[in-house]
Amino acid sequence: MFCFQCEQTRHTEAGPGCAGPKGVCGKDEVTADLQDLLIYQLKGIGQYRTRLGALGRPDREADSFVLFALFATLTNVNFDHNRFVAMIADAAKIRDRLRVAYEAASRAAGKAPEVLDGPAAFVPADTLLGLLAQAAAHGVRAGIETLGADVVGLRGLLLFGLKGTAAYEHHAQVLGVMRDASADGIAHTLDFLAGDPTDLNVMLEEAVALGHCNFTTMEALDAANTGMFGEPTPAPVRITPIAGKAILVSGHDLRDLGAILEATKDTGINVYTHGELLPAHGYPKLRAHPHLAGNFGGAWQNQHNDFAAFPGPIVMTSNCMIEPQPTYRNRMFTTGPAGWPGLRHIDNGDFSLVVKAAHALPGFAASEPERTITAGFGHHAVLGVADKVVDAVKSGALNHFFLIGGCDGAEHGRNYYTEFAEAVPKDSMILTLGCVKYRFHEQEFGTVAGLPRLLDCGQCNDAYSALVIAKALAEAFKCGVNELPLSLIISWFEQKAVAVFLSLLAVGVRNVRLGPTLPAFLTPALLDVLVQRFGVQPITTADADLKAALQRRAA
Amino acid sequence: MPNITLLTRDDAHFTFPSAQSDYILDAAAAANLCLPAICHEGTCGACHAHVSQGHYELGQIGDGALPDAPSGGVLLCRCRPEGDLVIDVPYPQADVHHQQIPRREATIVSLKPVDSSAVVVTLALTPDPALGTAADFTPGQYMEVWIPGTTIRRAYSMANLPNWDGRLEFVIRLHKGGAFSTYLAERARPGDRLRVRGPLGRFALDETSARPRYLIGGGCGFGPILSMLRRLADLQDMQPTTLIFAADREDEMFGAEATIRELETALPKLKVMLTVWHPQGSWSGLTGTAADAFAAALDKATELPDVYVCGPPVLLESVKAVAKARGLPPTQIFTEQVQAG
Repeated sequence: MFCFQCEQTRHTEAGPGCAGPKGVCGKDEVTADLQDLLIYQLKGIGQYRTRLGALGRPDREADSFVLFALFATLTNVNFDHNRFVAMIADAAKIRDRLRVAYEAASRAAGKAPEVLDGPAAFVPADTLLGLLAQAAAHGVRAGIETLGADVVGLRGLLLFGLKGTAAYEHHAQVLGVMRDASADGIAHTLDFLAGDPTDLNVMLEEAVALGHCNFTTMEALDAANTGMFGEPTPAPVRITPIAGKAILVSGHDLRDLGAILEATKDTGINVYTHGELLPAHGYPKLRAHPHLAGNFGGAWQNQHNDFAAFPGPIVMTSNCMIEPQPTYRNRMFTTGPAGWPGLRHIDNGDFSLVVKAAHALPGFAASEPERTITAGFGHHAVLGVADKVVDAVKSGALNHFFLIGGCDGAEHGRNYYTEFAEAVPKDSMILTLGCVKYRFHEQEFGTVAGLPRLLDCGQCNDAYSALVIAKALAEAFKCGVNELPLSLIISWFEQKAVAVFLSLLAVGVRNVRLGPTLPAFLTPALLDVLVQRFGVQPITTADADLKAALQRRAA
Repeated sequence: MPNITLLTRDDAHFTFPSAQSDYILDAAAAANLCLPAICHEGTCGACHAHVSQGHYELGQIGDGALPDAPSGGVLLCRCRPEGDLVIDVPYPQADVHHQQIPRREATIVSLKPVDSSAVVVTLALTPDPALGTAADFTPGQYMEVWIPGTTIRRAYSMANLPNWDGRLEFVIRLHKGGAFSTYLAERARPGDRLRVRGPLGRFALDETSARPRYLIGGGCGFGPILSMLRRLADLQDMQPTTLIFAADREDEMFGAEATIRELETALPKLKVMLTVWHPQGSWSGLTGTAADAFAAALDKATELPDVYVCGPPVLLESVKAVAKARGLPPTQIFTEQVQAG
């Protein structure tokens, strides 16, 4: 195996990247190699799907499979090699179906069909050992000896950003929203990668195009979430348990949470969110369920403690999962793209077994004193008070905005984000999104100019909300986003953050502070390009970066 | 052996022994203390701590994972003691998990004779406010069960699956003169209340492994093998699996033929080898020991499998000898010893 797609990838004398029997995340060699092979096949699907699209014959079923399969290869999503063996077989069937459809459509249009090779012509072996032998040629570093690390790194940036976009589009699609631009863009990027690109400038342009595609996709997900569950409004979220039977829902999938709330209606079971499902409490139609009791635990990396302490079943709906501990393994379930060998997977939306488990498990013996935090500051809510915000800036009462967003993680270096939030001056506002907020959101930030100083925009995909807010403010002040008194302090961990990062570059946001470490797949030369073209800066210390951000404003 | 003392953020102490060759995290696990950790290999930083007293050796650590190494910072997954250590950990005692072994009460639901001298015993756990009603165990694990009104206990592996109804099923061969056998044969009745303690044991499927699996049971060692097979069937496992079940005589098959046929239907890649060591009459299947059947299967194998074997000591030793002779790595053999009782 070789994998360097996430922030925690191993750093050794041989360079960055997880190799050997197991990655830092817990993904084993077999699973990692099968994921490489599946991605190779998806490029083949992309080749035919792009050509079918050009002939006016897109294929939604294939699009849907591609989204799901790419999502399954994100960090901390699916560790079950058996599921990848099955997906590899499915991918071959879908690709073959698309080939037949493409050739027919092409002839019907009076054109001779192209004869495609590479992934389009790949035939997977019929045994596990055979698949693993094939995978050796299709890893993320394929060709590095002749092409060099810059080409491989930029291909990595594209692939990993693509995974993030696919994850967002999957979430939107299960709620019934699919944008042609997203599906076409994802297929196009796969087709582009199938051609083994080597021109750095062309790849960089593709990365920016993917950033635009991801922006559209985040907009689609926002439309899907708000369309299904209403526009988020600020609401208190209880973070202490209530006596009684309980189910914990983790991951990112609002549809699964909604289905579990329906399945537990009038059963006396309380449903708690975990991790990145915390923003669910902002959505009126989810909050309307009286048994959506609160949020339990901290960010994903603390799940061993949080899940062990939770006295009911746990449902993991997507990332971020780490190896389930024996103390809670039997009461943990996965849905959607998530998987771990030996955990029960629910793929039909029937949560009756989870309900049964909740009744059989003890639940919380007693309630703890109520404590709450506030969620639900999406773009609708913030722009609803845009006049007040604009006046506060004009009057000087509100001096600066800091967007501290992205992923949390275990490393020591992530204390930076806590220190930064704590050091933000009292006359400035903090917008947050993603799970990095768990580092500071229980603190009391008070108000500025009569508005809360800490506004949680939601999940990482709600970077869309933050960008809508930024664009609206820029319009109000008749300036560009980069002229606003706004600093973006981004914490990345996995590939959705890569997709968001590409969107920031695509819409022209400059001077993003990125940490806690920079992506291992980006070589010094590639970083130099990002610094030169987009002003991307690595984080240093909270104090120094804060000073620099405020000085830029002054200047 | 050095003593390790952990001081939590809320001033609780945990002390446990650690060999100099052991990483602290592993020594804690051996002492039944589960400490926060993710990667177990010096990269993610989740097991970061600070040594305040004593000398230690730090193994290889990823770049940037340990910025405070010069001042006593360690990752417990890469820290070995050179003597007694006092270590400050950055979390409260609530984050240190103990695998507590529950003690429960259970009621006999049914006693079903299944062959010439075996019985399937089904118990129902009494609902408990702190533990609920679930029978929560890993296939392959066992419970200790007390004979009512005595201090005599025996260990039996569950043959069923973990479940939310509190059911425990044991497949027990009755042995003349055995204390529990005598209780089951002469006095036990549905409705009897028994004390139980568990689940216990580390005999479990490595579900992350992609290798073919051999499950080998002999004598009384059929229960946990059956539970494991049921688990694979329940999860619709797709890996090649071979069941080798060896009985002394053909009338000592625990009446499991029908169950095995059901499992063959649920697991398309299951291959079954039933063998009888001392056939008494019309047995037309394989003859010989479990080790004989294992050797025959291994000689035809294209890939060295993971081997799970449960039975009396003689069976375990003979299977291990076959495995060794054929170059099977010891890490691919998982064993559970059972004794008649």
